[in-house]
Amino acid sequence: MKRLFVLLNLIIAFSAFSAEDNFAFDTPAQRAQFLSLTAELRCPMCQNQNIADSDAMIAHDMRRKVYALLKEGKSEQEVIDFMKARYGDFVHYQPPVTIATMWLWAAPVLFVIFALLFVVRRKSSTAPQDIKAKLAKADALLEQEKE
Amino acid sequence: MKKAPLVVIPLVLFSMLVIFLFQGLFSDPRELDSQVKGKPLPEFTLPDLMQPDTTYTPDSLKGEVTIVNVWGVWCVTCAVEMPYLTQLKDELGVKFVGLYFDQDLDPDFGTKTLTRVQQEVTSMLRRYGNPYAFNIFDVYRDTSLDLGVTGAPEHFVLDANGVIRMHHIGDINERVWQNKVGPLYQQLVAEANSETNIVVDSDTDDTGRVEE
Repeated sequence: MKRLFVLLNLIIAFSAFSAEDNFAFDTPAQRAQFLSLTAELRCPMCQNQNIADSDAMIAHDMRRKVYALLKEGKSEQEVIDFMKARYGDFVHYQPPVTIATMWLWAAPVLFVIFALLFVVRRKSSTAPQDIKAKLAKADALLEQEKE
Repeated sequence: MKKAPLVVIPLVLFSMLVIFLFQGLFSDPRELDSQVKGKPLPEFTLPDLMQPDTTYTPDSLKGEVTIVNVWGVWCVTCAVEMPYLTQLKDELGVKFVGLYFDQDLDPDFGTKTLTRVQQEVTSMLRRYGNPYAFNIFDVYRDTSLDLGVTGAPEHFVLDANGVIRMHHIGDINERVWQNKVGPLYQQLVAEANSETNIVVDSDTDDTGRVEE
């Protein structure tokens, strides 16, 4: 019971984690845009936290900037481009496909293909041998029977 | 015969993994590719920290090799590097310009007055030395955002034409100066001198006067 109580307290403590600002939005759609943008933009100061979650000053300033840009009527892509122009691809949680990042997608696919090829080749090369060996064994048994 | 290469494959994969992870041990996750390197400063019109009537634009930083130092009184590392920067200014004549921003001065809910900030800055510079020719006050931290600043201290080395040639994140100490910032600074100063020499040469051609 006591343990459960402690656990419950921890859950409440962690749920109150994300940083809060007071922003007033024109439409619910704009608010949704703001929330999704701050969730997918990455704080350049803190390692692996989005700017919605971080309380670093830079994250605070970036939220303010996202808000200002949305108020100006900028689209989501424009806001992302604005941040990328300043902090690089690092700032967005969706990496663009370049020669360097291509391997993130290509490596698993290549692995599966090679593994399949490997399995298929091994099967086809070992199966006949197996059958031949078994046939030989059977023949030998038959021979024994005859004697 | 045929089996040998197959046995080698896991070994090769394993050593590739080891090399990859080994490199990761020494890479700095904070190091980002600066987006502003090779570009001129972004547009701004900002006041002087001490005399808010004076305003600066990117043109104010042209004509001389300059190191822009992003700092604030709340930044501990800035206080640590300040005596060394002052030493560089005194001994080598390096021109430092401060890009000051305050953490507590929230643009939306200001909690600190400008006089208070000025007092803190004055007392800090008195204690650790003042390397700055002047301080630009980035009131809303917009220019810092445009420059891709993630915190303080950070440094931008500008050539005489006001183009950003290096973005150094972190403090400048003796090791950093000797290995990273110093060589570029000397090179830029040499470049700037050779350019002005050409101008002087053409001047002498026009007027027919010879340098002493």
